[in-house]
Amino acid sequence: MTNFKVPVWGYWIMGIGFVAFIAMLIAYIHKNRGFRRPVFASPYVLWLIVFTVIPCFLVAYFSFTDPQGNFTLDNFKNFWDSNYNARKAIAPEDLKMYQDMGLSLEDLGLARDSINIDTLVFSLWMAFLCTAICLLLGYPAAHIMADREFKLGPTLVILFVVPMWMNFLLRTIALMSLLEDGGLLNTIFEWLGIGRQKLLNNIPAVQVGMIYNFLPFMVFPIYNVLNKMDYKLSEAAMDLGCNKWQVFYKVTLPLSVPGVVSGITMVFMPAVTTFYISRLLGGGKVQLFGDLIEAKFLSTSLNEWNVGSALSLVMMILILLSLGLLNKVDPDNEGGGMV
Amino acid sequence: MEEQRLISLEDIYKQYDGTTVLDHINLYIRKKEFVTLLGPSGCGKTTTLRIIGGFETADSGRVIFDGQDISGIPPYKRRVNTVFQKYALFPHLNVRDNIAFGLKLKKMSKDEIDRKVDYMLDLVNLKGYGKRGVDSLSGGQQQRIAIARALVNEPEVLLLDEPLGALDLKLRKEMQLELKAMQQRLGITFLYVTHDQEEALTMSDTIVVMQGGRILQIGTPKSIYDEPQNAFVANFIGESNIFPGTMIRDELVHFCGADFPCVDSGFGEDKPVDVVVRPEDVLLVGEDVGQVTGTIKSVLFKGVHYEMIIDAGHSIWKVHSTTMQPEGSRVGLAVVPFNIHIMHRMEEEKPREEAKK
Repeated sequence: MTNFKVPVWGYWIMGIGFVAFIAMLIAYIHKNRGFRRPVFASPYVLWLIVFTVIPCFLVAYFSFTDPQGNFTLDNFKNFWDSNYNARKAIAPEDLKMYQDMGLSLEDLGLARDSINIDTLVFSLWMAFLCTAICLLLGYPAAHIMADREFKLGPTLVILFVVPMWMNFLLRTIALMSLLEDGGLLNTIFEWLGIGRQKLLNNIPAVQVGMIYNFLPFMVFPIYNVLNKMDYKLSEAAMDLGCNKWQVFYKVTLPLSVPGVVSGITMVFMPAVTTFYISRLLGGGKVQLFGDLIEAKFLSTSLNEWNVGSALSLVMMILILLSLGLLNKVDPDNEGGGMV
Repeated sequence: MEEQRLISLEDIYKQYDGTTVLDHINLYIRKKEFVTLLGPSGCGKTTTLRIIGGFETADSGRVIFDGQDISGIPPYKRRVNTVFQKYALFPHLNVRDNIAFGLKLKKMSKDEIDRKVDYMLDLVNLKGYGKRGVDSLSGGQQQRIAIARALVNEPEVLLLDEPLGALDLKLRKEMQLELKAMQQRLGITFLYVTHDQEEALTMSDTIVVMQGGRILQIGTPKSIYDEPQNAFVANFIGESNIFPGTMIRDELVHFCGADFPCVDSGFGEDKPVDVVVRPEDVLLVGEDVGQVTGTIKSVLFKGVHYEMIIDAGHSIWKVHSTTMQPEGSRVGLAVVPFNIHIMHRMEEEKPREEAKK
């Protein structure tokens, strides 16, 4: 195996880049007139335009056009009824002919199919469950880690962070090998005499994978808020007559709402759009809305990109609406994620 | 007057990670008394307060409250309330709900809560602020709310942990007087913690001077100021000239190269002592009639008086006077016997823990 050799000009570019970066830093620190915020923001703005704004417009464009580029609402109709485009592709006289032969739409496989909506509802349900369980598990965890008297708190934080350094996909695959038929858990079950269980390729496996992957996104915003909270506030509450439980629900809980809101956002958003977790842990038997969209874009059929875009747009609007709602609760975004 | 003792600390000992914070403290507080724990930071005064409040437990010793040992009782069951250093107001509640916090926990009727909160808002001069958020208020206003929030529960003792520390000088002086007036009006025992000696002198009935986890002196502001028991107290309370000296015999002390008649006795003969002379007690007289002579090194205008530093050969004197002598001039210094205060040398001095009589 040969190592890739960095060419000489590579060193030059790296060197110049480094010097330029240092120079910019110095200039910024000295508030030099030549380098103001907009200058530094420009690469970021460019990045946003190329990779976020333009794709968004492309998605919107695709979802309102057919493959020929004509304006149409068919893609959304297809969202409502996934056989809409297929039915439309058949000439009306052919359809009539089939029906005269006594074949119903069901027989032809062209009846209204609500799979898109069903999948969306199922995805929302899965994401809701995942968020709720993450909250139930994550809040106490964050509370324990932020406890001043709990000396292991910082260690626990690190233990939560370390897995985050690993790739998402790798973690999920690792979970797969843990849950599979000959995996660690089943070996333990067998040893305990419970016998092998079917732990993979079902809905609970997908749910477990989602919780496992997204739990830190719930824990850290809450931990952040609790950790920054003035402990004198709980002392003051105790001083005024609160027992430990009253301190929690009268002071700690209301003050941690921004963190909870932030955590819910950060878990729910990826949970509702995920597709690889369901693919790896669901073994193709569990389909989420993300899988559906992915399938549309990987499909070779002519107008599937347009339908996929329409599905994405529906999802995006849902997410934007819920974000807007959450912003009403936490306008300052105090909970700001740590990760 | 045993029955007057509201709180007694008996032999309280506390350490953190091997460092002694409170070294066998004995102290009692009478009903309706304004007691100040005074000392530099790290002297254990806040820890003492927190032990009474129930936020810390002593490693050994007992806290007696109204005849009962409350050492193991959690804060929410104690009949004391605390005003915290940075107020610790609840940011998610408005002013009214902050003050009503303790009353709501006691399941009082809404009318009664409203009546009491209104009375408190009136008492701290914040009528009409009830609906405001606490973050929108100034430091002084937040301070008053913290006091109102504690006082509304009608505690037997109000613990105040440097409550005026975050305020500017003028506001602090105003609040000192207000606090004192409030305490007298309500007849509640105040236990006040501060490192500001002037604050302590202004407000207290009794001052407890602490250092290094020990109580150095307990007494009225006047007795602490006039008769400090050692150099530390003398230095900490007000400004002072402290000279090493020798007690020649009763009512005669030798320091700064001269013999001074004084009013103290009982130190023995030819005993080393510390001599305290307050800067305002030094009289500037003619060179020929002074007990000590010296040269004026510097003059500072301090508003009410001038502060002059005088070099008298082997000693440096700080003198406060309303009349100014020019720098470099020779002056005589005199002190009347009554204004010379003799103390035991600090090295020999064991802190007196039961000094209060």
